[in-house]
Order: sequence, then C-alpha cells, then structure tokens
Amino acid sequence: MNVREWALITFTILAQMSVGSFIVLGIVHYFVVRKSGEKQADELSDRALLAIGPVLALGMAASLLHLGNPINAYKAVTNLGTSWLSREIFFGVLFAVAGAVFAVMQWKKIATFTVRNVVALVAAVIGVALVYSMAQVYMMPTRPAWNLVTTPLSFYVTTLLLGVLAMGAAFVANYWYVQSKNPGCASEQCVLLRDSLRWIAVASIVLLGFQFVIQPLSVALMAAGEASASAEILANEFGVLFALRLVLVFLGAGVLGIFVYREAQNAGREKMLAIDAYAAFALVLVGEIVGRFLFYATTMKIGLQ
Amino acid sequence: MGKHLGFYINSSICTGCKACQVACKDKNDLPVGMLWRRVVQYGGGAWQPHPTIKHLATPNNIFVYSFSMSCNHCENPACVNVCPTGAMTKRADGIVVINQDQCVGCRYCEWACPYGAPQFDEAKGVMTKCNFCEDLLAQGQNPVCVDACVMRAIEFGDLAALRGKYGMVNAIEPLPPSNLTNPAIVLTPHRHTEFSGKGTGKILTLEQEV
Repeated sequence: MNVREWALITFTILAQMSVGSFIVLGIVHYFVVRKSGEKQADELSDRALLAIGPVLALGMAASLLHLGNPINAYKAVTNLGTSWLSREIFFGVLFAVAGAVFAVMQWKKIATFTVRNVVALVAAVIGVALVYSMAQVYMMPTRPAWNLVTTPLSFYVTTLLLGVLAMGAAFVANYWYVQSKNPGCASEQCVLLRDSLRWIAVASIVLLGFQFVIQPLSVALMAAGEASASAEILANEFGVLFALRLVLVFLGAGVLGIFVYREAQNAGREKMLAIDAYAAFALVLVGEIVGRFLFYATTMKIGLQ
Repeated sequence: MGKHLGFYINSSICTGCKACQVACKDKNDLPVGMLWRRVVQYGGGAWQPHPTIKHLATPNNIFVYSFSMSCNHCENPACVNVCPTGAMTKRADGIVVINQDQCVGCRYCEWACPYGAPQFDEAKGVMTKCNFCEDLLAQGQNPVCVDACVMRAIEFGDLAALRGKYGMVNAIEPLPPSNLTNPAIVLTPHRHTEFSGKGTGKILTLEQEV
C-alpha cells in the first residue's frame, strides 16, 4: 500500500459518505415535513446539510493525490463513452454542483418548496449514479476479486451506513445547538430530533444486517472463483484486520445503535445519547476505512504484472 | 478491416537470452524498473523421492520455457477502453499508442491490462508503453526487438498474415485467456508449453533483472 491507494480509500469513503448523508437527510426531511411541516423540517436539516459539502470537497481533493499528473485532471472526463473512471469523475462533479445548487437554494429559501425538492431528488439520483460508477470502475475481468456483484452492493451499503451514522452525529450536534438556545429542550424541534435519531438507530441496525450478509458473500464468491488467492490473503494475512472491521461495524451500528435508540426515546439522557451517536459514527467510519483498505490490499491481478 | 500489425513470438526456439529486452530498453532509454519488452520464463515440476532407494530423487515433469512479451496491441485493448482522458488510442494500423500530454497518470490502464504493458513513469507522472517502434516503422525499419533476437524468434507483420503462417496460439501460461482483449500476437509454443488456464508452474523470471 502506498500514498496513492490511501488517496483512493479517502476519496471513495468520503464521496460515498457524502452521497449517503445527502440521501438520508432527504428522507428524514421528507418525513419531518409530513409530520410537522416545512418550517420545522428546515430547522432540523439546514444545519445538518452544512456538513455534506466539505466532506465531498475533501474527498475530491484527496482523489487528486492519486494522480501522477494532476495538471491534466480536467481532461479525465473526456472518455465518457467507454471509461467508467470518466463517468465516475463526471457524476462526482455533477453531484457536487447539484448538491451545492440545492444547498444554496435551501439556505436562501430560493424558489418554492416543491422546486427545491425536485432539485434535491435530482442530486440524490446523481449521487446513486456516482456510487454505481465508483463500483463499475473496479469491475474488471483482470481483477477477479473486484469483479463481483458484491462490489456495488457493498459500496451501496457503505454509502448508506456512513450516511445514516454521519447524519446521526450531525443531528446530535444540532440537538446540542438547539438545547443551548432553548434550555431544557422542550421544543418540538428537540422531539423531532430525538425521533429522527431513533429511526437513524433502526436504519443502522438494518444496514448492519446487510453488511453481515454481503461481507461473507464476497469472501465466498472470491474463494469459489478466480479470486481464491485473494480470499486466502484476506483470511490468512489480513484475517485479524477483517475480523476487526466486522467487530467495529457491529459495535458501532449494532450495539451502539440499540443504545442510541433507547436513549433517544426520552429527554434527559442527552449526554449519553451524544456520546453513543458520535462513537457509533467513529467506530463504523474506522471499520469501513479498514474494509476499504482490505479491498485494495487483497486484490490480485490475472496475467502478467 | 484494414491491416492490423502484430508480433509473432517463437517460444519453441527462444533461449531466454533477453537480447530483445535489452535492445528495447536501450532504444527507448527506459529507466530502471521499466521494461516495455520482457522475457518471461515459466516453469514447473519437481524432484521426486525414489520410492525404494533412500536419498535418490528423480526429476518429475520438470520444465521451463521462455517467451518475449511486450504490449500486444490488442484488437480489443482494455487500456484504451478504460483510459479516462482518451490518452490511450488505437491507430488505424492497430498500434496502441499513448499521448503523454493527455495522460493524467491515474494508472487505470495498468490495472486493466492483463499483460503488464502500460507502465508508470514515476519521474514524469504519466504512463509509458511499447509503441511498436513507430519511429523505426515510419522509416521502413524493423522494431528493434525483432532485429536484436539472435534466434530470429520475433517477427512482426500483418496479424492475419501471421495467423495464416503460424496459427492461432495466443494464450500460453502465464498469459491470461485471450478472449479478454484479443491480443494481436501469434505464438509458436514450446514443446513443454502449458496453455492458459492449465498452468501448474510459475513465473521464474528474476525481478532484479529489470
């Protein structure tokens, strides 16, 4: 592993986290509008929206470190016809632009609520296409450990899992902010935030289930096909890291998910709620980074090197 | 379809002397660690203990063969398809060339190529590869590897003509199955050759030779 691959780990993790956060925030926003109206929903999600742009920008900056000749980076979208890497960069830029347009419209309350919703939906669809392109970049016959259906599946689960827990952390931060303005936090906003956090906890536990199906499945597919050497390296040389990755995600998304769910039920346990939501995000983030490290570290190439 | 240039490699007489490799490296002034043409040695088998006589071992299916490999200027090149900038292109005569002014140095072609042909130039930050000695071809000369071979084991020419003359073999161990990219290469296999997918041996080429 060298700096280049760390650049790819950073880029893919951060870009997927920002797509996931955008989608999760959109879903929460949609339900809060239906329950308590636009004003409450805006108050809940506008500040959380703030975190998504910088995450994506940081990821894209990291991707430049992967290039031998970054000066030519702008040329990398010119082969959209056949190159998934071109498409990945294209959708990445498009997602950044659409997301930024939406964020500005949302903060300045430009256009009607419906128009903003349409823009958000378009940005979210572009985000889904971005993650799909990211996965397709790795689907090459010469890299059998990557050329599996579990590559896009695990990218999508990572996207949603990091999105859910990043938004959980953002909501908790927002909660503290609202509480500082309104001691005791008896407002409707605090109830909504706690409700959202409960659903965040439920979603993280469900996604953990998906992760625990897809990870063993990917190892099984590797072992059964041309990538048996990769499965062997993963099991032997990197067995401890692979186990660590699963344990971290289990503790973060599963165990702490249950705590977050319980603590979000009633007011008065905000301190533990905050610690648990932040810790869940941190553990899963580290777990997913380790997972992505293993993705690059265990790949094998067929043919001549 | 017009003429498509390709290489012919006669593995049955290749001695593994690496004259082609050195000539290519010299002609193209390649830095340490980079080889546009490489001689690959592939071998297998083992010494087997004698069933009754103690301390006596006999060779069992021991084999080794060599062949020379550069960019195969594939009919369906993986590198050209994945290149995000379009720096990698296939000329009308079949030669796959790289425009270093366009290259972004992402190394994606390196991932995709099953022949290790595109190689990264650390100093320039861009990819490099065998260009079939396009400058020599333009002057009516042979690629330098062809003339350097002491065994006359390398030829080049129109792919269809080479296939008509020497057959269709293009996938021997440790090369990948040819259906990935349809390499523009014809090989005469060594008598011990293992064909792609049937390999029991391993690459024996020494890394320090680069």
